[in-house]
Amino acid sequence: MITQEAGIRTSVGQTLRISPLVAQDDLVAQGAPLACLRDAPDVQFVAPMAGRVARISLQPGRKLSEIVLFAETVGDVVEHASKSATSVTTLRKLMQAAGVWPWLRRRPFGGMPGAAERPAAIIVMAADTRPFAPDPRLALAGRQAAFGRGLQALTLLTDGAVFVCHARGAPLFDPIKGVQSIDTGVRHPQGSAGFCIHTLAPASVDTPVWDIHAEDVAALGDLLDSGVMPMTRLVRIAGAGLRSSRLVHTQAGADLRELTQRITTPGAHMALSGSPLDGHEAHWLAPRHRQVTVLPRPRNGAAPHWFKAALTQSALPKPVIPTAALTQAFGGAVPAVAFVRALSAGDDEMAIKLGVLSLLEEDLGLADYVLGGGADLAALLRGMLDRIRKELAP
Amino acid sequence: MMRGLWDRETVALMLLAAYLPLALFWLLYGGAEALARLGLATLVIAVWHLVFMLARAQPPSLAALITALAVAMLAPVDLGVFRLVLGISFGVVMGELVFGGWGRNVVNPATVTLSFLGFGFPSFGWPGFDDPVIWAAIPAALIGVATGVLPFAVLAGALIVGVGVYAAGVPIDSEVWGGAALVLVLLVADPVTSAGTTLGRWLNGFAYGGFVLLFATGWGGAAPVQIAVAAALLTSLATSLFDEIAVNLWIAKRRRRHGRN
Repeated sequence: MITQEAGIRTSVGQTLRISPLVAQDDLVAQGAPLACLRDAPDVQFVAPMAGRVARISLQPGRKLSEIVLFAETVGDVVEHASKSATSVTTLRKLMQAAGVWPWLRRRPFGGMPGAAERPAAIIVMAADTRPFAPDPRLALAGRQAAFGRGLQALTLLTDGAVFVCHARGAPLFDPIKGVQSIDTGVRHPQGSAGFCIHTLAPASVDTPVWDIHAEDVAALGDLLDSGVMPMTRLVRIAGAGLRSSRLVHTQAGADLRELTQRITTPGAHMALSGSPLDGHEAHWLAPRHRQVTVLPRPRNGAAPHWFKAALTQSALPKPVIPTAALTQAFGGAVPAVAFVRALSAGDDEMAIKLGVLSLLEEDLGLADYVLGGGADLAALLRGMLDRIRKELAP
Repeated sequence: MMRGLWDRETVALMLLAAYLPLALFWLLYGGAEALARLGLATLVIAVWHLVFMLARAQPPSLAALITALAVAMLAPVDLGVFRLVLGISFGVVMGELVFGGWGRNVVNPATVTLSFLGFGFPSFGWPGFDDPVIWAAIPAALIGVATGVLPFAVLAGALIVGVGVYAAGVPIDSEVWGGAALVLVLLVADPVTSAGTTLGRWLNGFAYGGFVLLFATGWGGAAPVQIAVAAALLTSLATSLFDEIAVNLWIAKRRRRHGRN
């Protein structure tokens, strides 16, 4: 299902300075470059479908806000010279030109890796335990060869290992030198990229670790084979605001309203890009997201009485009481209470020792949910990561 | 978006639910006098919570009822209203409210109150308990562990020491067992002020059992509850150390495995 409109945007919290390579009203082919990074022109953002450029919105400082495309029925597909991508340099150039690069994410600090960065390890997530997440095994069905080719290519990009994290089941690929297969559990957050990195190859300022979704690795494998980058992905549309959930193949940056409009229940609702735990209200599907969640919009009632507000809202963030639920929310991978206390107190040094550099906001989504939303651990984590980046990695 | 359950007040409610068997049996056997003590303790703590809410915008917590129950059950008898109010005020303000309220305190306010009353007014006797009240500590612990609000390792650690002492045949007064069990469930296993790491919790339980054993065999003339409260106070002071040991061991283990943090 290809939506009539699509928007190229950054992930939440990320700012990217770009140079547009097309103008408004230009016709573009699928996979054609739309913009590139100002500091690294090789890294390009490409059109997820053939279409017409409707709008290019930039914020001050030439920061990308969104590039909107209208789908056109007639349109070409860009073909890359993929057969020559046999060395690290040519492979990087191909991935950056074909639009695979924005689908990679680095830790620590999150965001897209630098154009010349070499990671200490790469984690391929073939498991996703978030609520309503589509099973990556479904996305990989029938694409074993492409997945293997993609993994083989990833081994060129790192001196360390490539780990494929997946739920228990049939093998996803034939054995490849330098690629390790890891069974994760089925309970969230065991299939969360952050905790897998934390367990397998902790990230630090000097040793960044990348993670990428298994379906994107299969797409890389297809790109290497045919020269054409598949731009669709398996997306699950679910949530309490829908009559029924759906599993669709749609393009990156798809229009969430079009994806959900025929199946929503009557009444006000909100469409989130991402899972109910870590998603955010959005118009376009975020670059790495594979979930759309539709929830009934909570009613804006009258402001609470001042006395009730004093009872409930006067001291935020609220204290965290150590319980078994909190320990489970961290999957047993981290001493949860010590970690939460280091986060709350702003103890960067202890948090780094406990592995904060391997984690991002989405990994703490479950902990924030479990604690009822008053502790705001994700915001504390982002503040801490920004502080550490300023001090240790200017 | 979606919100989970386990905020501060849910945990306080779960703890209250866990302590309900204990409270019911104690009130059943204690009668009107026990009810009056519980009412007085609740009133004093509620007033201080209100003062801190108005003065420092600190939201009050249902955990006040847990503190009130622990103080009313374990405080020395026949103290009179004034001494009890003084002790509760000191314990609740200095042990909990000045740190920012329940969840940010480092010692249990009931432990501070009881220790203050014990040290300040040593001539007053400590309470004794009927057997059914002591047995009610078992369902309380089970409910707490099953709902995840009481740390299993603290209770199990202390239990292991107790079983070991019993098996070794150390001569300990039978009333000490009951007092130690009640204090363990009411004060030592408090989720906020007990250790936060698994290893730390085991050490916490062992330490409490060890202190009780030490005082029971070496402190002549002490009442059972007095022994247990003193052990609880010393243990709660050492919990940060236990957590520090556990976290540093965890970090060292990871460093050995990965060569970096």
